[in-house]
Amino acid sequence: MRGTAIVETGPALDTGLNIERRDVLRARANPRSIADQNARPQSATLWLYLHLPALPLEVLTRGVEETRAFVLASESGRRRVVEMTNRCAASLGVRVGMPLSAAHALGEIQVLERRSRAEHKALQRLAMWAMQITSQVSVVEPDGLLLEVKGSLKLFKGVDALLRRLRRSLKQLGYRADYAVAPTPAAAMVLARSNPRKVILQNHQLHSALARLPVSALRLEAKQTAALESLGAKFIGECRRLPRDGIARRLSPELLTRLDQLYGEKPDPQLAFQAPRSFDAEIDLPWDVDNARDLLTAGERLLDELQGYLTANTATIRALRWRLIGCDNKLRFFDLRLSHATRDRQHMLLLLRETLSRMNLTSPVRGIGLNVAEVTFGAKLCNRDLFDPNQRSEQEAYASFIDRLRSRCGETALRRLGIEGHHKPEATWRWLQPAVMLEHRNKGLAHLQAQRVARPLWLLKKALKLKQNGGQPHFDGPLELVPERERIVNGWWDETAIARDYFVAKTSRGGRLWVYRELGMQANWYLHGIFE
Amino acid sequence: MNLQDLFQRAAIWRAGELPPALTRPSSFPLLDKALPGGGWPQSGLTEILFSTSGIGALRLILPALANLSHQGGWIIWVCPPHIPYAPALETFGVDLSRILIIELPEQDCAEREQSLWAFEQALRFQDCSAALIWLEDASMLSLRRLQLAAEAGSTWGIVFRPTSYAVQPSPAALRLKLSPSRLDAGTEALDVTLLKARGMRSGQSYRLAV
Repeated sequence: MRGTAIVETGPALDTGLNIERRDVLRARANPRSIADQNARPQSATLWLYLHLPALPLEVLTRGVEETRAFVLASESGRRRVVEMTNRCAASLGVRVGMPLSAAHALGEIQVLERRSRAEHKALQRLAMWAMQITSQVSVVEPDGLLLEVKGSLKLFKGVDALLRRLRRSLKQLGYRADYAVAPTPAAAMVLARSNPRKVILQNHQLHSALARLPVSALRLEAKQTAALESLGAKFIGECRRLPRDGIARRLSPELLTRLDQLYGEKPDPQLAFQAPRSFDAEIDLPWDVDNARDLLTAGERLLDELQGYLTANTATIRALRWRLIGCDNKLRFFDLRLSHATRDRQHMLLLLRETLSRMNLTSPVRGIGLNVAEVTFGAKLCNRDLFDPNQRSEQEAYASFIDRLRSRCGETALRRLGIEGHHKPEATWRWLQPAVMLEHRNKGLAHLQAQRVARPLWLLKKALKLKQNGGQPHFDGPLELVPERERIVNGWWDETAIARDYFVAKTSRGGRLWVYRELGMQANWYLHGIFE
Repeated sequence: MNLQDLFQRAAIWRAGELPPALTRPSSFPLLDKALPGGGWPQSGLTEILFSTSGIGALRLILPALANLSHQGGWIIWVCPPHIPYAPALETFGVDLSRILIIELPEQDCAEREQSLWAFEQALRFQDCSAALIWLEDASMLSLRRLQLAAEAGSTWGIVFRPTSYAVQPSPAALRLKLSPSRLDAGTEALDVTLLKARGMRSGQSYRLAV
């Protein structure tokens, strides 16, 4: 990987230098003129660092709405102290470093234990999610993500729009993040921690932004920080002015490299995160849940993560497998099937809500997981997936309607009608799956239309045997038969053979029915249809 | 605010004056003349009450449904009492590819809540132009919900109920009662009585050959 950019103090590596210098001059002449910055050449890369200071607490609490006071505890010597608090706890007066006993005295708080493995996994999944913004994502353990966003600015219509979206989406996922944007990875990391929300698009602005940051922002070893301060360098800008060979000799050559990387004078390669080929995520709940509806927040956040993953990979799915993790560690699975391949979060959320609202939890649950084993990669990506997932085509709206009804009424609840070219009245039609696009086939119908044979609008699911009196069928009193009859004899070659005489019959109350008499010895009468 | 201002409001209509309503022809000229706006409503609930089967309750709305089926919207039948017979529908000119049937297991159909839910979903579904359901007892509240859903989704909701419910008040915008009769020539006919129609006098009867 090449060095990130050329700056005025750096060696002249290529002609880009001249352009940069001109930029500097123009920027100095009119420092507030940044409106045309998109038109001007900027640094070759732009890094966004996301710092998640509350990750250890958030991975434990994001499955529920934040309405309770949560506290993360850690050991300090022999005492258990508060390591982290959420907003609710902070408003009670709970402070970091406070003994737990003191915190308990302030109000009702729920104490949680740190789970590093969950943090690690959550960060990996967040990286997966962030790949919808850029393909170059790096995980910075334990609580940061580094994104190269230069190529994404155009797609998101500028850095402000991108950051706005990022803030909103992270909040939806249940995370709070500090961030900064800078031309070098190291600068973005330093700024995100010490001057959050700082956005620097051009190399020459880097110097002034870093100059007044304390040395501690570099997060060096304590010994090195102390040594630098003893040399009179309290701020990063002052470190830069120290003689280079002096730093290399008296502190360490690595420190020199780090400073060079900070200013983009040495390459700072980042290990790109590779998204896995299938999706699996899990959220632990801070308490045990026995009402399925309480799982919705966590489920929604998992769907957010999934959508990020799918968008990043231009992938679609057709089924989701949810798992509920019982307090006894038993797993209970349920599937949501989608009638068409999609990555529509709204749609999946609707189905999940529907399913959860009807689910009875037999035993309490402590977590919820989502697994998607089959992912179709390389589906066509349209802009509207990125910007407006709510806008849907007619086909999608139909599929969404079908899925919603199926998820509540059962897989077989929805049907369509098809015509079969068959002479047997009960076989001239058939049920079709709702997702089947019907082609027009009027096979076998021509003779009906030609003859203008009466066919009832209702066909009984099973022909109803009628009472008879002296050979006359009865239904609501004696039936009056219209003289014309239609003989249907079919299937004599197999067991489904029929031989019937069909009649239109009038009931005493003015209704018209479709009845038949079996030909043969039995001569029973049946009601088969209603001319409704 | 004076009275004239009040009348300007869309939510207010005067009896004897037609409310602005979008309609579509029923293919029965006599009925079109009788219905507010000159035809079946394009959205909202229409209640059709009848007690004898085989008198033509479906045939009354089928020409309109056949037209709708060719305009691209879905026609959704919720828990029909029997199988809608595809060959007959086709001879009526219905495009079968736009018909969707929601069939619930027997016990669920009895569980009215489920079928009402499905019906409401159909009414709210933007691409559904008409939805049909066969109901017995239904609370005023759930009917009102359906009426609102039909308005929100711009869907024509058709509720078939036994005549005995005619005495119960209903929030449906249009209510008709059907009874079998005969034309002078002796052929079967259908007597359609307007029980409720916005801007029309109720109680009028019309004899149609369906």
